[in-house]
Amino acid sequence: EPCPGVSKRISGFDMAPPASALLSGAAAVTGQIAGAAPALPGMF
Amino acid sequence: CSRLHTKPSVSPTLLLSNMYQRPDMITPGVDAHGQPIDPRTIQSHFEDFYEDLFEELTKYGQIESLNVCDNLADHMVGNVYVQFREEEHAANALRNLTGRFYAGRPIIVDFSPVTDFREATCR
Repeated sequence: EPCPGVSKRISGFDMAPPASALLSGAAAVTGQIAGAAPALPGMF
Repeated sequence: CSRLHTKPSVSPTLLLSNMYQRPDMITPGVDAHGQPIDPRTIQSHFEDFYEDLFEELTKYGQIESLNVCDNLADHMVGNVYVQFREEEHAANALRNLTGRFYAGRPIIVDFSPVTDFREATCR
């Protein structure tokens, strides 16, 4: 159980996409593709 | 809906499009590898996201309302609506969030016309 108020979790803000995603033209606004789901590092 | 909503040039509310991604976004209750996910894991995943958001957004001004669409359907999926007390706080947040990333995905941020979330429907 996490301690209330004490979060050692790293915020998802400013977590850049993996280099592979940048190469494959992920720049599109519609870039929320299901297949690219492991974009949640550190969550599990 | 399929309407193209007009984006106001200034508003106390921002829309962060498709920002929240549920861990079971492909199939309800199941992760991307086909493994079942404990509902508590899904809940804490959401709470972590909300906390990240709140901590970041509160830097730019006083938050009046923070709503996350935690749906699975395509429409508005993962949309975040944040209403600040002041329009200038929203404008400040917009400037600061534009061009940044969250969890490996670009943050798509615009002003939103929504100011009363109980009344927020297309018409």
